[in-house]
Amino acid sequence: MAPRYQNRIELLQGTLDLLILQTLQWGPRHGYGISQAIRANSGEILQVDTGSLYPALHRLERQKWIAADWKLSENKQRVRVYRLTASGKKQLLSERSRWEQLSDGIAGVLSPARRGGQA
Amino acid sequence: MRFPWQRDRKQQELEQELQSHLQMAASERAERGESAERAQQAARREFGNVELVQQVTRDQWGWRWLEELMQDLRYGARMLRKNPGFTLVAVLTLALGIGANTAIFSLVNGILLRPLPYDQPDRLVQVTGFYPKGAFAAMRSQMQRMDVAAYVEGYEFNLTGNGIPVRLTATLVSADLFSVLGAPAETGRTFRPGEDLATQNNYVVLSHHLFQQRFASDPSVIGQWINLEGMQRQIVGVMPADFRFPSPQTDVWIPLDIDPRNTVSYWAGDFMPVIGRLHPGATLAQASAEIRLFQSQVFSLFPWPMPATWNAGVSVVSLRDGLVSDLRVRLLILLVAVALVLLIACANVANLSLSRAAVRGKEIALRVSLGAARSRVVRQLITESIVMSAVGGALGLTLAAGGLSLLKSMLPADTPRLSDVTLDWRVLLFAAALAILTGIISGTAPALHASRTELTEALKAGSRGTTHSASHALRRALVIGELGLAVLLVCGAGLLIQSLWALSHVDPGFRSENVLTARVTPNESFCNDPGRCFSFYRDLVRQVRVLPGVANAALINTLPLGGRVQKRSVNIENYVPASSAPEPLLWMNAVSPGYFQAMRIPLLRGREFAETDTSGNSRVAILSADTARRFFPAQDAVGRHIRLLGQKEWCAIIGVAADVRGYDLRQSVPQWMDGTLYLPYGPGASLEDGHVPAEMTLLIRSAGNQLQLEEGLRKLASSLNEDTPIAELKPMPLILSGATSAPRAVTSLFSAFAALALILGIVGIYGVISFFVGQRTREIGVRMALGAQHRDVLKLVIREGLSLTLIGVAVGLTAAFALTRFLGSLLYGVGATDPLNFAGVAVLFAVVALGACYVPARRAMRVDPIIALRYE
Repeated sequence: MAPRYQNRIELLQGTLDLLILQTLQWGPRHGYGISQAIRANSGEILQVDTGSLYPALHRLERQKWIAADWKLSENKQRVRVYRLTASGKKQLLSERSRWEQLSDGIAGVLSPARRGGQA
Repeated sequence: MRFPWQRDRKQQELEQELQSHLQMAASERAERGESAERAQQAARREFGNVELVQQVTRDQWGWRWLEELMQDLRYGARMLRKNPGFTLVAVLTLALGIGANTAIFSLVNGILLRPLPYDQPDRLVQVTGFYPKGAFAAMRSQMQRMDVAAYVEGYEFNLTGNGIPVRLTATLVSADLFSVLGAPAETGRTFRPGEDLATQNNYVVLSHHLFQQRFASDPSVIGQWINLEGMQRQIVGVMPADFRFPSPQTDVWIPLDIDPRNTVSYWAGDFMPVIGRLHPGATLAQASAEIRLFQSQVFSLFPWPMPATWNAGVSVVSLRDGLVSDLRVRLLILLVAVALVLLIACANVANLSLSRAAVRGKEIALRVSLGAARSRVVRQLITESIVMSAVGGALGLTLAAGGLSLLKSMLPADTPRLSDVTLDWRVLLFAAALAILTGIISGTAPALHASRTELTEALKAGSRGTTHSASHALRRALVIGELGLAVLLVCGAGLLIQSLWALSHVDPGFRSENVLTARVTPNESFCNDPGRCFSFYRDLVRQVRVLPGVANAALINTLPLGGRVQKRSVNIENYVPASSAPEPLLWMNAVSPGYFQAMRIPLLRGREFAETDTSGNSRVAILSADTARRFFPAQDAVGRHIRLLGQKEWCAIIGVAADVRGYDLRQSVPQWMDGTLYLPYGPGASLEDGHVPAEMTLLIRSAGNQLQLEEGLRKLASSLNEDTPIAELKPMPLILSGATSAPRAVTSLFSAFAALALILGIVGIYGVISFFVGQRTREIGVRMALGAQHRDVLKLVIREGLSLTLIGVAVGLTAAFALTRFLGSLLYGVGATDPLNFAGVAVLFAVVALGACYVPARRAMRVDPIIALRYE
């Protein structure tokens, strides 16, 4: 069963990392909070699967782009809260610009006429 | 965060993290109005499989390999516990192999590998030649690349004055020896430059043990004067306990007496080994070049011509290699032998695992079919094998630790660096590496083989397991290989045993039975008045002859096989040395009348010395048969004359004695000597320094009761003056057997390994044939049902076993033909490819292998066709 999950992580890897980093730019959050924020900010379109989210969080942590601390939530629950590190901020910038290039490129491929017209 | 031991905590944290996720999701749903129970369920459903999420998250931690390793180790340990019989046999086999290797390696490590216990040991070197004091003094002043020091071992001095006189073993050293070795004194100082020159050298440095035992570790002895061999010497220092150069036997270090005016001692005294310390930046090659240049010039310094072969090919080697020169070959041969034993053990264990893999085929096939990668299965099986060899290694290390002292006691006591042999970290590392390597070697073939198992075939074959022809081919190859190695080792052992037998049955030229020897060791100065010396010894022999049980008694200065040599240059009548060659150099034996009779050395020509010959009025000599043949090839030596170099009188040769193996059992004199000369102990028997020998060995042939004789001798000794002690009572047969102690040690170790190899090889062939019979139970049943006789079954099994054995023997003999010549330097009286020995080994293996096959063959003959056919 494991391979199926792994495939999906790979499929989403670049984008999911970007979404997590972007979400944490607005402030530290725990895993559940991150998944809720992505869901809300995407207008309920993007639903992050926990089987992808937690591996991604632990991977980003290992790469030192995010850091985690144990904190108490509003309802006095111990939660693991992630925050963006300095190198994470740099990574976010570079991933954003790569994403913009990619989406420009894809948009160009999808609507060649409009691109040609502009040129 | 990456450390494995934090893994459990991290695992707990992950569980908590996911739990908090679930709770938050549920409580949010509850806030939206869902019932607590529904909210829990929905959150759980949305979350998915918690276990799986944990697992894929854990994979990100980068410890997957470790987790799998732990899993494999646990699984491996469980499998081994489940098969105690297999595990016991395999672990014991490996423990023997690894233990023997570890023990031999600890010898190699201590003697060949460990750095010498001196400052910057890699700068220490040895000059391969031997030099008299004059040549050494010249070398010391000329060398630019290194500082040199000379020493000579094995002198014995009487320490008198401080209580009971004792006999000390002294090493004479040049003053620079300690500074070259970089070894400071523990208390006091070592020698200063110049303190090895004549008249400036009345000093002594004590060893730690002498300081403790004789001087009660009292530091105030520094500066005191002691009487050594009649000469006053001042104690200047004490060396630390771990300073044992050149050997632990050294009690005191005494400066050389370098005196250019004493020409004989300066140019023809002891030829000493020379060690050195390279100057910073200098290399071995540079030092070698320098010493070769020196060697080419040193000839002109000698007051007489030196043979061109003297120190030919001299070079500079590292001191560590120089000290152990001829031991290296023996140790490496033993190491190779023991490594071959381990290889055989590996093959045996691999074979065992293969037969088990046949049983486990089903389990493995099932795992592969359930999605386990082949590489994963191989890794798991090899891990299992490593677990096994690790247990074997631990057991082997215990064996080695226990066997090491036994091993050390088997080696001759004068083995260099024996005290450096311990189980240190290098040995532990070696044992650990060996265990892992062994596991990989013995595990790889079975693992690769097992992972290739086909599911359908494995399941079809049912509980009997699989009958791969590939498996059988592999097992046959392994058994042939191990038999081949065992044959090689047994051939080698056979040759060594033959050599030892030949060596210990060499006729030494004298009869040692019932001969007791005792050294009489007065001070050197005792014979300053030779007359006193002669009358003392004459009286002593007379007194000994009347002791109860004494048949005969005589004296000699250098006992055959006693380890001491007395050289003397001579002129021989009508003999002219080849141009620029020196006068003949003979071994001079000073003997009392009756020596030849006491030792039962036959006189081939002429007569023995008589009492009247000792007066010195008429000079007489006896030659050994070899020497007579060499210098008087065409005529009778008796009646010819010989003269000690430097004396005026010629001695008449009155007899020719049979040859005696006096130097060692292989040769009567060392290579660099030309023959053996006997002179009557008297005024004519003077040494190079002009004195007559003071130290003599008493030889007593008893009529029977040795104990009674020893007691009488002790009584006699105690009645003597304290200046003339009698020491070292030793039966001559003991001295004779001591001459074979070094080859005996190597031979017995090598033979033990060969015996182990033979046993392992036989176990191997037994295992394969048993397996062969087990696999064919059904076929045999069918054959018997169809009318085959017991004899036919026997033939079937024996043919299989014998063909394997014969191929193995052929392989082994081929290897032996190619390799036994490396034993060359250890062999005596037997060729390296002795056909009788090789044929004997072949027959031995054939017979023993037949025996090993007979047990499974009988089992095959007892097969009941009905049961065999029903059994499925």
